[in-house]
Amino acid sequence: MSSDVLLSVKDISILSEDRQCNIVDTISFDVMEGSIHSIIGPNGAGKSTLGYAIMGVYHPCSGKIFFEGEDITDLSITERAKRGITLAWQTPTRFDGLSVYDYIGVSVKDKNLIEQRVGEALEIVSLDPDIYLKRKVDANLSGGERKRIELAAVIAMRPKLVILDEAEAGMDLIVLESFMDIFNKIKKLGMTILLITHREDIGMVSDNSTLIWDGKVLANGPFRDIMVLYCQKAGLKKICNRTLFNQFDECIDKIIEEETRENKI
Amino acid sequence: MSERSDSSEILNSLEKYNLDISDYLPSHSGPKLVLNFNKITTVSEVEGIILKGREIENGIIADIVIKEGTVLEDPIHLCFGVNKETGLQEIFPRIIAEDNSSVTLQAHCSFPNAKNLTHKMFGHIYVGKNCKFVYNETHYHGEHNGTTVAPVSYVYVGENSYFENNFFLTQGTIGRMKIQIDIYAFKDSIINSNVKAFGKNSLDSIRVRDAVFLEGENARSIIKMKAAAIGGGEVMMFGITEGNAANTTGHVDCTEIVKDRGSRCRAIPLIRATDESCHITHEASLGKVDSAQLNALMARGLDEDEATDLIIKNML
Repeated sequence: MSSDVLLSVKDISILSEDRQCNIVDTISFDVMEGSIHSIIGPNGAGKSTLGYAIMGVYHPCSGKIFFEGEDITDLSITERAKRGITLAWQTPTRFDGLSVYDYIGVSVKDKNLIEQRVGEALEIVSLDPDIYLKRKVDANLSGGERKRIELAAVIAMRPKLVILDEAEAGMDLIVLESFMDIFNKIKKLGMTILLITHREDIGMVSDNSTLIWDGKVLANGPFRDIMVLYCQKAGLKKICNRTLFNQFDECIDKIIEEETRENKI
Repeated sequence: MSERSDSSEILNSLEKYNLDISDYLPSHSGPKLVLNFNKITTVSEVEGIILKGREIENGIIADIVIKEGTVLEDPIHLCFGVNKETGLQEIFPRIIAEDNSSVTLQAHCSFPNAKNLTHKMFGHIYVGKNCKFVYNETHYHGEHNGTTVAPVSYVYVGENSYFENNFFLTQGTIGRMKIQIDIYAFKDSIINSNVKAFGKNSLDSIRVRDAVFLEGENARSIIKMKAAAIGGGEVMMFGITEGNAANTTGHVDCTEIVKDRGSRCRAIPLIRATDESCHITHEASLGKVDSAQLNALMARGLDEDEATDLIIKNML
């Protein structure tokens, strides 16, 4: 993995619509090129707002965002996309009449590669091109199909940085593992992933994490360390019961050990 | 130029705008009635279909009967075209679909060279019991904003029948267009009416009145109206549904996108119920393109204008 910083967020703050409080409050973190960096935190912590600010949907009232060393704070969504940033939306919107082929194909800069890239991308997200290419990106797709098509559009685009905003939201547990496989395939294609999630089991694919709580950064660091802190903040027992992964259990064991030592349990 | 080749030219004008006319060319053997201006150039019947045209001053009367039990795979093609730049064309279709029949009527109204041309239609469609009747009307008005189009249709849909109306004018300019369609739905019938129109400049003016009267118990309907006004164009859509019998259900859905200075969109959904068991609803949205859709496409590298054009093109 390259040790170059791809994205650098410096002290950004975003005001609420009524301008009464900061949804995001002086947040800073770096995302290394080629890594999966997760933004972790509970519902309402400001994770999605932060992701939208990096994409250019929201503009911070203070602070700067740098991408490959360039200040992109004042750039539009389109300009950021042209520099290699894109976002897969938590609830991807539907389009009347727009085919899956055209929706994914829009992302491909080289028009000679559209057909090849669209087919490849659909296969990576486990959707049969023969079935899906002519379908419309409208209300007839299920939530899971729409999410996979969103990921396919991202894959076909080949951006430098992909912001995945709770890509797993609404998916059942069986599908989750295949999503993590897709994230790894995106990484192998050379894309850096900024993974926004409030699920500790999804965050496990990440190399580094940032824990956000009430709009502020609580910690930056390796995923395991961040998870320990997250579990302490979120309430240990509940998370322990619904985790699926051994790696996460190790984190829990570590906390239990610490808390037992402190005679809390 | 012969009348026959004029008709081909009218059809070719549709193909130029990506409208698939392969099933409607003169060589095609399906049932058809083709006009060039106010002259009937082709009448072709098939078993189970009676097609009669009569020329009158400034137009024609077209009588079409689909006999009881007739089920047609191929559409019946009506081509009302005018190659001239000016003139008046008046069409009086009288269509009867007898019980247990199933057909699609495809009407092409093409006026590729219109500069001061008026097309009027006054039509009646009677659909019997247990029928499936699909009426597609596709217009192309050329590039000169020189057309005035005013079709009025009355449709009566019998017991347990399905009627679908699809009116599309999304290619080329519009000029002035005023459409009225009144559909009367009887017991257990289903109505699906779709109108799409695209006003592209300040000389384009569209007014559509699409009305469904649910007169028989359990009748159901949906009206979907989609339009865009750009470059100073004007669109006004009235979507009307009345529930006048027990357990009738109707919905009016109107989506209009407005872009550029001087463009105007208006939507007037009018719903009325005279029975306590009716359920009639409406939904209308006017204004700019949905910001979530714009953001999604801009995040893939399209600028705002490119994204807007793509959304409008596909919506219509």
